[in-house]
Amino acid sequence: MPEAEAIRLAQQGNATAFERLYRLHNRRVYSLCLRMVSNTAEAEDLTQEAFLQLFRKIATFRGESAFSTWLHRLAVNVVLMKLRKKSGTETSLDEMTEPDEESGGPRRDFGTADLRLSGSIDRVNLQRAVEQLPPGYKAVFVLHDVQGYEHNEIAGIMQCSIGNSKSQLHKARMRLRELLHEAVRDKAREDRKAASAESGSED
Amino acid sequence: MATITCKDFLDRLESWMEGDLHSDSQAHLRNCPHCRSLVEDLKAICGEASNWRADEIEVPPRIWTYLQSHLEQEGLIRESRPAETAKATWFGEWFAALPRPVLAGAYLTLLITGAFTLSRPINRHSNEDLWRADSRDSTMPLRAQLIAEQNSFGSFNNANPAVNASLNQNLAIVDNYIALCEKSVQEEPQNEVARDYLYQAYQQKADLLAQMTERGENNR
Repeated sequence: MPEAEAIRLAQQGNATAFERLYRLHNRRVYSLCLRMVSNTAEAEDLTQEAFLQLFRKIATFRGESAFSTWLHRLAVNVVLMKLRKKSGTETSLDEMTEPDEESGGPRRDFGTADLRLSGSIDRVNLQRAVEQLPPGYKAVFVLHDVQGYEHNEIAGIMQCSIGNSKSQLHKARMRLRELLHEAVRDKAREDRKAASAESGSED
Repeated sequence: MATITCKDFLDRLESWMEGDLHSDSQAHLRNCPHCRSLVEDLKAICGEASNWRADEIEVPPRIWTYLQSHLEQEGLIRESRPAETAKATWFGEWFAALPRPVLAGAYLTLLITGAFTLSRPINRHSNEDLWRADSRDSTMPLRAQLIAEQNSFGSFNNANPAVNASLNQNLAIVDNYIALCEKSVQEEPQNEVARDYLYQAYQQKADLLAQMTERGENNR
């Protein structure tokens, strides 16, 4: 059943059409949720919630935007709401980024000059760093760099301009670099501590 | 070539990462280890993120189970038509593969049949006659009756071979449709919609046979 036909039938409450739409999009929505929250149980809940909202609202879908964009917008909003509740703050999407205090732009430090990340970035490090990103940055980074969406698609999903999407992505990457540098420094510090503790016990 | 500062390079870094490679930025990058390190780090982050994308993610089946029960509880699922779905898939494909003149002929025949049968109450089968009992076996007497009618049609050959061929083609179309509907009913005997489709298919055949009989009698 083609997607357009499934949408039309789902608007009439057809069970087969609901399932067809779910099967067409569940993988991308679930992976988006999983990468945003890094927890399978939460990702399942969020996927369910996103599809539930979709099916509740499907009668209002008029095709002004692509169906997948509409669905992903719902999913991203569901995830951002969840993250906002988690952080315990009531902030707008724009506020869910971390602007540089003075200029409003990305932070401009280079990290430690002699410390390079190349070779020290792995899945675990990156995932931990992504978890620490402000929700707005996280959403754009996951959508673009992990999920592979283009900026025009992200603009549709996040309801922002293409320029805004590019700028958020850049800030997200810069923040990730900082976080990864911090992780590398922390690890180096722990290694030093462990080494000195070892040498102390030998003395 | 004018050289740019690290601050200038940072200002252009966003567009640089988007592939906008200014020659003065390139020159700066060649001479500045700090900025080079920064770009390499950002590229490494992007590279690792795209590796992450390639991960196979299995969606747990319980998500759909939960959703389905919620949709039912909330009354969002209002209709379930497996028979219609079946018709829309393999019957639809088979139907689409038929030549247009055959379909047009079948359609016209059904229209004419409708007109004939309205004026011929003897050969018409009412809903009560066709589907009186509640069990799926209730279609069997009708099926037998249709076979008997079809056999008797053999003795009323139409004088025009072209009309005969067209009617037989239409009969084959209806027979195929019946076979599909019977399959649906066999798979889901309690499905009212599937049974309804089968009933309609039988009725189409009854109407077609009635028309063929009528033509045969007129040509005798």
